[in-house]
Amino acid sequence: MNIYQPQLATVTEVTEETVDTRTLRLEFQDVAVRESFTFKAGQFGEYSVFGAGESTFCIASPPTRPGFIECSFKSVGKVTSALREVNVGDTVGFRGPYGNAFPVDDWKGKDILFVAGGIGLAPVRCVIWNVLDRRDEFGAVTIVYGARSVGDLVYKRELEEWASRSDVRIVTTVDPGGQTEDWTGDVGYVTPVVEKTAPAAANAVAVLCGPPIVVKLTLPVLDKLGFADEAIFTTLENRMKCGLGKCGRCNIGPVYVCKDGPVFTAAQLKALPAEF
Amino acid sequence: MSDERFFISESDLRALAADLLATGTEVIAPVAVDACASPAAMASSACMRPGLEPEDLEYRALTDAAELDLARGLPILSLKGYFLPEHEALCRWKQKGIAIEIEAVPTEFAPRVVLAAKPCDSAALAVVDEVMNWDYKDELWNGRRAATTIINLACPVIDESCFCTAVGAAPDAIKGADALLTPVKDGYVLEATTEKGHALVEAHKARLSPAADALTAGADVDRAAARARAAANLEIDAGSVRDWISTHFEDPLLAQLAIRCNGCGACSSVCPTCHCFDIVDEEEGVGRGTRRRCWDSCQASSFTLHASGHNPRDDQHSRYRQRINHKFSIYPLKFGEVLCTGCGRCTRVCHAGQDLVEILQAIDIAARRPDEAEAAAPAADAPSPVAP
Repeated sequence: MNIYQPQLATVTEVTEETVDTRTLRLEFQDVAVRESFTFKAGQFGEYSVFGAGESTFCIASPPTRPGFIECSFKSVGKVTSALREVNVGDTVGFRGPYGNAFPVDDWKGKDILFVAGGIGLAPVRCVIWNVLDRRDEFGAVTIVYGARSVGDLVYKRELEEWASRSDVRIVTTVDPGGQTEDWTGDVGYVTPVVEKTAPAAANAVAVLCGPPIVVKLTLPVLDKLGFADEAIFTTLENRMKCGLGKCGRCNIGPVYVCKDGPVFTAAQLKALPAEF
Repeated sequence: MSDERFFISESDLRALAADLLATGTEVIAPVAVDACASPAAMASSACMRPGLEPEDLEYRALTDAAELDLARGLPILSLKGYFLPEHEALCRWKQKGIAIEIEAVPTEFAPRVVLAAKPCDSAALAVVDEVMNWDYKDELWNGRRAATTIINLACPVIDESCFCTAVGAAPDAIKGADALLTPVKDGYVLEATTEKGHALVEAHKARLSPAADALTAGADVDRAAARARAAANLEIDAGSVRDWISTHFEDPLLAQLAIRCNGCGACSSVCPTCHCFDIVDEEEGVGRGTRRRCWDSCQASSFTLHASGHNPRDDQHSRYRQRINHKFSIYPLKFGEVLCTGCGRCTRVCHAGQDLVEILQAIDIAARRPDEAEAAAPAADAPSPVAP
């Protein structure tokens, strides 16, 4: 089997997150693969619908929950539109896991701040569950999540579950104008809400993912709160085809997002050319 | 044994090709083809002029040893397509009910021989071997490499766009190949350097005779002369060029050098080292099809376009900078090899006049010039310009 040949996986669960975003749960059809497949939080894969092609997303479920993987995606292009049409029982392709990972084991004993905007919660969710499944090993957990509107919030049931836990502090916000009458969360952009939430930066790390503008504006705020560049982790997405360092399109200067990333610290980002 | 050099006459070389063909071995070699065969070329003025029958040189699978064309310069396309085809199947799928079956594609290939390969084209294969084996092994590339014996022909024609010696290659190099033919009077000097090369020599020993010292000495003189001719076109310090590019991403020079480029991507197609590809699904009727990879080019705006509409390289100068950066800085930093063998095809094919010889010269000059910041700050141990 060559490196570009996908594994077959069955869709076992479909969750409609928003009008254009859904989560698929996949189980590998090959029993040996299903039982031996492992990955680390932050790694990604190439998901495919046969006839439409492949698309790159993170694995949105945590490695602490074996037996399946999940992906969340917004229906935008050819492949995601095809993935939007699949039903429980259908077969899709998967290649992976690829790329590096969040160094979760290095964070033992530390506080963790998660900041996500929109669909950027997908890779962060993987780390959140990974941390919550090993809750005793970490300090305070704070989550700041924002979307354009209440309708655009993804993982709504999980947001409620995290809000109901006493060992998690979560602030959910929607952009001004995106609130509904019964909305009880914050109203405002993610960046000022992070500043207002002001989690302690001493002995803490921050995990940040969202649209480029959210990442760009939030980095200075985290700096102001006292997070060192080495303690801020984010995950980048660039257009990819192979995921294996061969097809030549995801590089930012000398760094290949598929092999050297997708997880980078803010310190690493600052050393890169502004071409992402 | 390893440095043994043989003489083979031109007729015996053709007979060797015929012997290989007779055993069913595919032989790929430069062949003159009708330059006006394609509908697009037929419309060109050269093809419409009566009496003119322009010919192109291409690497083709020989059907007859007589087709072998040994006297000319570079074929239009490099050998790349014989190892990374313009498009190739990665796997096939077939739907049965709601189940899907995947059919793997073979990764082992029948033995074949490339005869009279240009040294810049074989060197390119050795350079691309690096990325094709960067942690993950590309079995399709490796399978074709393993199945192929390559015999280079020391370059008889060097034009003003050739600059192989500036990027670590040479008109008489064996890099990426298994043996080398050097033209001498009435024939060639043949030397093998790899196991595959020695096996080929061994199998065709009847057509070879030991090369006389005078003959090999003459061949060496010609080889040195060819190297000097290529070196006269361009001499750069590839290490300084690499380092300058990696530290001058935003330098206006890199934007200036891209000014004529209109992003057609012809340079990528003809380049022996450009290996970037796309992966697409091709449906072949209902419920079945082929997943293919096909050549792609960093010069296309769609190359890096995100589904969101965001494009990290959204203008032509950033895309041209990527081409230069990848070839002369990123790849050398990662793999210790320049992603260019100086064949000059990109310059010859460019209808806008982008000239890589000129571009590398400009970067080399910039790299030799001290940085303005460094120039402005006198070195600590420099004597003060003002007398105390």
